[in-house]
Amino acid sequence: MIDITFTDPHASEKMKAQQALYNVIDPELFVNVIDLGLIYDMDFEKEDAITVTMTLSTPHCPMGEAITTGVRNALELIFPGKTIHVNLTFDPPWNFEMLTEEGRAQLGV
Amino acid sequence: MADINIGKAPPNSAILPFYATGALAFWLLCLLLLIGADALTIFYFNPRLLSLVHLAALGWGTMIIFGAAHQLLPVVCERDLFSPLMASLCWYTLTAGVALLSFSFWNFSTGWLMISGGALVVLSVCAYFCNAVLTSRICRHYSIARLFIVTSAAWLLFTTAVGLLLAVNLAYPFFDKNHLEILKLHAHAGLAGWFLQLITGISSKLVPMFLLGKSEKEKLLHYACILQNTGLILFLADGYFWGIHPFRALLYAGIAAAGIVCWLLYLYDAFRHRIRKTTDVQMKHTFVSFLFLVMALLLIPVIVFAESYRWAILYGAFLLMGWITGIILGKTFKTLPFIVWNGHYKSLSGKVKVPLPKQLYSEALVVWQFRLFIAACLLLAAGIVLNEVAIIRIAAVVWFAVASLYLFNVLKTLLHKTRIQ
Repeated sequence: MIDITFTDPHASEKMKAQQALYNVIDPELFVNVIDLGLIYDMDFEKEDAITVTMTLSTPHCPMGEAITTGVRNALELIFPGKTIHVNLTFDPPWNFEMLTEEGRAQLGV
Repeated sequence: MADINIGKAPPNSAILPFYATGALAFWLLCLLLLIGADALTIFYFNPRLLSLVHLAALGWGTMIIFGAAHQLLPVVCERDLFSPLMASLCWYTLTAGVALLSFSFWNFSTGWLMISGGALVVLSVCAYFCNAVLTSRICRHYSIARLFIVTSAAWLLFTTAVGLLLAVNLAYPFFDKNHLEILKLHAHAGLAGWFLQLITGISSKLVPMFLLGKSEKEKLLHYACILQNTGLILFLADGYFWGIHPFRALLYAGIAAAGIVCWLLYLYDAFRHRIRKTTDVQMKHTFVSFLFLVMALLLIPVIVFAESYRWAILYGAFLLMGWITGIILGKTFKTLPFIVWNGHYKSLSGKVKVPLPKQLYSEALVVWQFRLFIAACLLLAAGIVLNEVAIIRIAAVVWFAVASLYLFNVLKTLLHKTRIQ
């Protein structure tokens, strides 16, 4: 889960975005992208754009395009008028320590 | 998105026909097994068994694997498929070729019909080979999976080219060597070159991905590649130039088997380090299929030294119906629903509530398919060992039930209509 501190000037937007991203499910794992720990950062510095830095559980994920499109769609719904940039990275690569407690429970870890 | 290309899937029209045709071919194969059950109780070079084997290897195994490989190649290479048009050409020629070959083997009408079927299959494989090589040529990163995909495609080209020559030789004899000896080389190039290496490459990517497992022992896959190819090349070269010698054949089988052990150890390491502890029925299908592969390997010394041809038929049955069929029956529902789901819901994801890929088919039927698959394999093995047509026929009935469940589920997935919840 991404860190949101109350001193962050964009805390409220980030909370809204995080809530929206709970609806984006990895279709193979049946767990949402937040609990999977796929979202590394959300940047609200620009007025008209949001940049999401995220990863996938594997670089060869055949559902990668569906997941990144889902992230874009979910944020466009909550923040109409803003351009959503998805910055995909594999540095650091995803590992199971990035799962939230809820994500672990859902995967049966 | 950043400069990372996660590999765009080719259009569904280039992939889905392979799955539909493969499922139909499997259904037809099981029906023909029921009709021609006695073909498994006599010497293996008989028209009906040749027809069944080619329908199983090309119409069923290769057809589905072509569909999956065209889909996965861009993912493995992180690049788009070189030519979706070539993938379609590959489907047209393979379908026509398999139909002609199976029909002409069943009636044993050697001549231009059989040769045309063989030529169409070779043409299809050329299209696949070019697509695989040209897609992987622009691959950004080296990957062992990519190496396996390319080497297996080369072996398939070799296998089908030899197969075409064998079809010509049946009508217009020109080989100065024994036709049956060349047939053994042709069969093993297909089994150990095409199926084994392709399955090794694809499973080394997919199994860890589905289990959320990881193995640091990638060296094992390199050893697997070297050993599998060394064993096969030595077997083919020695067999062709000096004839198949029992002890040397065993030695080469041992080398290739060591390559299989390396690959299975890699998968076991990924399994041990998996995050997902629960194993679904599709993965159980995969694991059981490996057992049939191991059983087939254990049969090799028996085939080499035993007089009876039944062990050779059992060996082929374990490989085609146990191992290859088992892995396909499971993996289909790990790939096809996702391909179809992507076509219907990729752009809707995150906007509205959409069904999950697993809701595109019936999971309950896959569980029954798995149970019946095990029963069908065991009955078939018993029928072959006892050389009893009645038991083989009962096995064929169970196989027909497996194929019907599979075909129903594949069609249910393919015919899915977009549904927003």
